[in-house]
Amino acid sequence: MNTYIKALIGVTGREINRMTSRPLYFLSVVILPLLSLLFFVSLMKEGVPVKLPVAVVDYDHTALSAKFRRTIDATPGSSVVMTPATEHEALSELRKGNIYGYVVLPHNLQADIMNGTQPVVRFYYQNGLLIAGGLIQNDLTITLHTLSAGVNKQKREAMGQNEVSVYAEIQPVKPDAHLLFNPETNYPVYVTSIMLPIMLQVFILMITVYSIGIEIKERTSREWLRKAGKSVFVALTGKLLPYTVIFVILSLFSNFLLFKALMVPVNTGVVYLVLLSLLYVLAYQAIAVFFVGLLPMMRHSLNLAAFYGILALTLCGFSFPIEHMPEVFRLWAEAFPVRHYMHIFQSQILAGFNFVYAAPSYLKFLLFLLLPFAIIFRLKSALIYQNFIEQIKITDAAEAAVSEKSLIQ
Amino acid sequence: MKKIISKTFKRFKSAVSNTALIFQRELLILLSDLGVTILLLIVPVVYPFLYSLIYYPEVVRDLPVAVVDLSRTADSRAFIRKLNATPDLDIRYECISMEEAAGKFRKRENRGIILIPETYSSDLALGRQAVVSLYADMEFFLYYKAMVMGAGLVSIEEGNDIQVKRLLNAGLSERQAEVFSNPFVISGNAIANPAGGFASYGIPAALMLIIQQTLVLAIGIMAGTARERHKLGTLIPCDLRRMGTFRMVLGKSAAYFLIYALMCFYMLGAIPAWFGYPDQAGFSQLIALMVPYLLSAIFFGLSLSVFFKNRETPMLLYLFLSFPLLFLSGIIWPLSNMSPVWQVVRSIFPSSHAMLGYIKMNSLGAGISETGHEIAMLWILTAFYFVTACLVYKTQITKVKKLVLNAGHQDNSLVTAL
Repeated sequence: MNTYIKALIGVTGREINRMTSRPLYFLSVVILPLLSLLFFVSLMKEGVPVKLPVAVVDYDHTALSAKFRRTIDATPGSSVVMTPATEHEALSELRKGNIYGYVVLPHNLQADIMNGTQPVVRFYYQNGLLIAGGLIQNDLTITLHTLSAGVNKQKREAMGQNEVSVYAEIQPVKPDAHLLFNPETNYPVYVTSIMLPIMLQVFILMITVYSIGIEIKERTSREWLRKAGKSVFVALTGKLLPYTVIFVILSLFSNFLLFKALMVPVNTGVVYLVLLSLLYVLAYQAIAVFFVGLLPMMRHSLNLAAFYGILALTLCGFSFPIEHMPEVFRLWAEAFPVRHYMHIFQSQILAGFNFVYAAPSYLKFLLFLLLPFAIIFRLKSALIYQNFIEQIKITDAAEAAVSEKSLIQ
Repeated sequence: MKKIISKTFKRFKSAVSNTALIFQRELLILLSDLGVTILLLIVPVVYPFLYSLIYYPEVVRDLPVAVVDLSRTADSRAFIRKLNATPDLDIRYECISMEEAAGKFRKRENRGIILIPETYSSDLALGRQAVVSLYADMEFFLYYKAMVMGAGLVSIEEGNDIQVKRLLNAGLSERQAEVFSNPFVISGNAIANPAGGFASYGIPAALMLIIQQTLVLAIGIMAGTARERHKLGTLIPCDLRRMGTFRMVLGKSAAYFLIYALMCFYMLGAIPAWFGYPDQAGFSQLIALMVPYLLSAIFFGLSLSVFFKNRETPMLLYLFLSFPLLFLSGIIWPLSNMSPVWQVVRSIFPSSHAMLGYIKMNSLGAGISETGHEIAMLWILTAFYFVTACLVYKTQITKVKKLVLNAGHQDNSLVTAL
């Protein structure tokens, strides 16, 4: 046992030496992950986008239409940045990207409302950008209904009804939306909570594949294995240990940012947070080891890891619900630890549900840890025989130079 | 005089033929390298196809929700029926208590809860405002939107019906009651993507990003491989015929441009046609956008390639940018709400302008003048990155020339030791 621990420490020391020998490691293990985390935390920290630019096309030019314009401008969701003369102009501004929507107030709006001919107030929103479009649609629908209610209210008050019953009369049923179990959290903050682990997994995958693949490529794998007492298990554990520590710290730091900078509520103990981060990092390291074992030639395993890492955004299912994807992809999604991380994060940490509800996801994490065993012998033979090395034709500069010179002369 | 002309002509001729040689050589190396071929020819073909299949259902319909009806009256049942009739929602469970509904939510059997209060019917009867609570799952924006929009609109509609009924009871005519409760008609219209499809929104933008990302990665991998192959670890080979900054940059760029010009027919022509994505942009508009985009992305890649010392480095140092670039493009997060710092960071990447420009042309039907800002920015970036690419290659060439000249004078073994 003692010899194993000694070998383990030896391999870890060797890896730390390697890590400090090139700036590449420092960049892709510390600097770039940190920058990505800070980027996502800072980009959406303001919460739901407010005051999106819209336009009002006012053909009416009356006191009423001016009031409509002011009311739209005063809503938290939109801000009237221009009043184009024609609809055509407004559409062009929308195409240029200066506004996300516009409202058309027709000719004779005030007169038609007064004499009860029900004019049509149209509004347009840019649905090519789904989020901005959805927010504008929601905001303008509510604002115009409020305005409609306001006109209604004026008429009623003129008829002598008191104010309390007026609200009940014009809007008998009032929908009151909450976010389940997280009334304080808003959507952008929630997106950030998913993007942080997605960024981390890219770095974990790439650096793990690289740190193993480079040993094969540069023919140092035998020396590495010797240092580990010829145990591939010790070799891998010792090598990956420093990365595990760094990435767990990064993952905990990303949670710290969520809770402290973005005020996401945390409803679970620190123990679970550490456990979740640890399992997450280990699962991705296991997958990366599996990739190198499968394709020991680094250029191919890096490609595979890149393909898989980029797909995580789609298949973790937050951009588009997994339940609505074709059956095949629902199964695919299971193969992404970030999906299980998301489940646990939502149910246990955000909503504060009992451990029982998240337990299946924890179990799935453990399954990922078994992956390296499937390829361990293939990997070992690749490390020993170094039979997966790309042939590099080295051009001899001096020779080329000499022949070049003779050509010129 | 004649001598100068013929000399200039000769120089020009050799420059052109050398550029063509570099172009030819770059194409040959590109296509003989499996890793790069996959990146250039397979990834842009497979990703759009895969994404299209994943997002095939496009929209979220029939979101499973639970209703907790504490009122249990004809009024509340009528409200539930209306909810179920909307395409957005599917009332899957009628629970007797909030605990039961929340229990089902924990097991992910429903995605939202609608709570109708005990006093619903009496509130209506007594002329008080009845408050219906919606509890939405925020796991997905689309779920949240479906829930809030679906239930919200039904509430407004239901309120309207009740109001009309009351006014009728008060003795108004049908038309009067209608005008009274709706002084004006509200009509909301979507410009582009009326169904709110996710693929129609996301995939065109993703196509644009894939172009830049695969280009920069491929150029970086080629540069890293070149450094590994050249004995002195230099970016360019020691071949004096190829030692001209412009012929180097232009020859290489031409090879990538050719490949991507061909790929664009598939990505921007075939994919939208097969999957029914928006395709309002005409051929001339696409040319106006894609020429500066491809050029700026290629020069951007060539400029960055100086940082990639090995074949693997671009994957480690550049790949991750795909996610931030997606969020910086203005497609997801509205530009009007982006901080000035990120706006500046955003504008140095060709993909940001191309993604937004493509969405404008393709989904909104914007013309070249309406996309003028994006196209101008792409040309500015093209010029900027062309200069940086030339500087990168110029310094590399000077370095190699120095090394080669030294090698000519000194012993070969010394060079090898370098």
